[in-house]
Amino acid sequence: MSMKKEASSLSELGFDVNFGAGFFRQVPPSGCDNGEGTQRRRRPTKVSVIGAGDVGMAIAQTILTQGLADEIALVDADAGRVRGEMLDLQHAAAFLPRVRIVAGTDVLALTRGSDLAIVTLPGARPVGHHGVELLRKNVAVLREVVPAVAEGSPDSLLLVVSNPVDVLAYAAWKLSGFPASRVIGSGTNLDSSRLRRLLADHLGVGAQDVHAYMVGEHGGTAVALWSSISVGGMPVLSYLQKTHASFDGEALEGIRRAVVGGAREVIGLKGYASWAIGYSVASLARSLLRDQRRVHPVSLLAKGFIPGNDHEVFLSLPARLGRGGVLGVAAELELTADEESTLRRSAETLWEHCQALGI
Amino acid sequence: MHKTSSLSDLGFDAAGASSGFFRPVADDSTHSSSSAPHRRLTKVSVIGAGNVGMAIAQTILTQNLADEIALVDALPDKLRGEALDLQHAAAFLPRVRIVSGTDHAVTASSDLVVITAGARQNPGEARLSLLRRNVELFRKIVPPVAEHSPDALLLVVSNPVDVLTYVAWKLSGFPANRVIGSGTNLDSSRFRFLVAEHLDVNAQDVQAYMVGEHGDSSLAIWSTISVAGMPAFKSLRDSHHSFDEAALEGIRRAVVGGAYEVIGLKGYTSWAIGYSVASLAASLLRDQRRVHPVSVLASGFHGISDGHDVFLSLPARLGRGGVLGVAEMDLTEVEAAQLRRSAKTLWENCQLLDL
Repeated sequence: MSMKKEASSLSELGFDVNFGAGFFRQVPPSGCDNGEGTQRRRRPTKVSVIGAGDVGMAIAQTILTQGLADEIALVDADAGRVRGEMLDLQHAAAFLPRVRIVAGTDVLALTRGSDLAIVTLPGARPVGHHGVELLRKNVAVLREVVPAVAEGSPDSLLLVVSNPVDVLAYAAWKLSGFPASRVIGSGTNLDSSRLRRLLADHLGVGAQDVHAYMVGEHGGTAVALWSSISVGGMPVLSYLQKTHASFDGEALEGIRRAVVGGAREVIGLKGYASWAIGYSVASLARSLLRDQRRVHPVSLLAKGFIPGNDHEVFLSLPARLGRGGVLGVAAELELTADEESTLRRSAETLWEHCQALGI
Repeated sequence: MHKTSSLSDLGFDAAGASSGFFRPVADDSTHSSSSAPHRRLTKVSVIGAGNVGMAIAQTILTQNLADEIALVDALPDKLRGEALDLQHAAAFLPRVRIVSGTDHAVTASSDLVVITAGARQNPGEARLSLLRRNVELFRKIVPPVAEHSPDALLLVVSNPVDVLTYVAWKLSGFPANRVIGSGTNLDSSRFRFLVAEHLDVNAQDVQAYMVGEHGDSSLAIWSTISVAGMPAFKSLRDSHHSFDEAALEGIRRAVVGGAYEVIGLKGYTSWAIGYSVASLAASLLRDQRRVHPVSVLASGFHGISDGHDVFLSLPARLGRGGVLGVAEMDLTEVEAAQLRRSAKTLWENCQLLDL
């Protein structure tokens, strides 16, 4: 199909671009007006999404629908595709509050002045399986992308979504030169939603009233903090134990595996996962940009928070998020001996991976 | 891959789980259990879980327009994957019941049914042949949907939307005010976007209608362009160095070509039609009485013969009862004639469909 570039503005069709000032005229300048006229004094909230694939676009579109940004920049190596995605969002202008949407391949130019930069990288093929080769490729992309983002948006928050998210969040932190409080990975935020949904449906309550954390290394070894499960603020573990015929560690492990296998289940059925991670990241974006001080389990610099671990690794812990990024990390987690040792083991493994990156 | 969408799949006792942890207040009446909803919840069904159907479903979900969403598709794995992908976001959304199935029974008691299913054009296939295949597809979809939700509103998105809205109307047996097509609602948004960008004003403050047959022959009604309620056509004309038919046609083609451009670049369109249909859903379900250019039964308007039951886009007032009314636009003779010409072509196509 021929890629005929259609006119996307009236000026491209020969209409006088300075016309707008005629239809609406400005109020006359007064003595105390220093000539700024219609200039905005406060910068609009800008979110950049790097990577316009299924995940990046689900994130961008959810952020747009939820009215979280005044300006959205989409960056991708595929110039044609990202332009198409931008147009597809712009065409909905009559149905949304006004949001400036820009798109292209130049990371620095497009992301300049971001309040939040979200990085999604090429996924694995086949989708869902990632190994050393993918890690190396994605780190190479980060080496190009992150310094450019940091240069154009030195005060930005950085949110890494791609897998393996804990290693990549670490790499992004190192490459950005940012304080660790401003770099997070989406981590186990979505896994926790899956756990909460399973429990909520079982108990007939809304998932927003179920609190339950998955923490640690995102993926197969994420830890479910069983003692943390509460419904409407009330601990529910002992009740769950009563409703299952032979309740034991195996039953809990079954739930945990169902949760961490959730993404792979969706990928196996529809070929990729997008909507849920879109909502998950938009939820993080809201807490960050609107300074909500909400607690989310996200991948962050966990040094000093896991007994026995002194490495500078990123893994997921419940953290208070706000405009400054990670405002604080839950420091009084009640971990069983098993949970603690799993986290320590994850930290060790992650540290090995991080060191091998050579950053 | 074993199914794990509930704790009962994992062996947990589902019966009485909720009434154990939470117990109902004491009630000695013999009424039905407290778990039965006393007022029906708002249910939207989307037929077709492709890019368009899912963008629509997801936007309706994000905008919290429904309490229950049902997804239907012919491909069971894809369908289940899409439903799960939405369900996994439960902690980030108000509680919405999401169900899916290849059987239309899952759409029962819908308030609104959105149809996005459509046959894909085979290389070299003639338009009429594709149309006939779509009619066969709609024969499988529309009657069961109508039977399961006899009071629903039907919203057709599949292309060619005007003909297929007519088909859905015929096959459903519904009154025409309860069957609409997404029509030129999105084209009009593109039109408004272009004008709004040019005037540096919010697109919601620009009114401008594309009407008629959705697609290459849609009509831009220049006299309807207004900004904050003020007619803007004359001003636009003054801002072009050589304003003429060609200039207007250039704008119209940029609007119509917008969809093709997106398809050429990303392979399909999704987000914009998602927002467009969600906007229609909001007006319908929340009885907003807003005016949208959508494909409605147009016979009797602008000289279109009463006997010619064609659907094409006109500005229509939408609410809980569907199409509450259609605006009589002040069209030039040329515009009215073009509309009648489209109606004639559409009518001729509809005649070939044995409905």
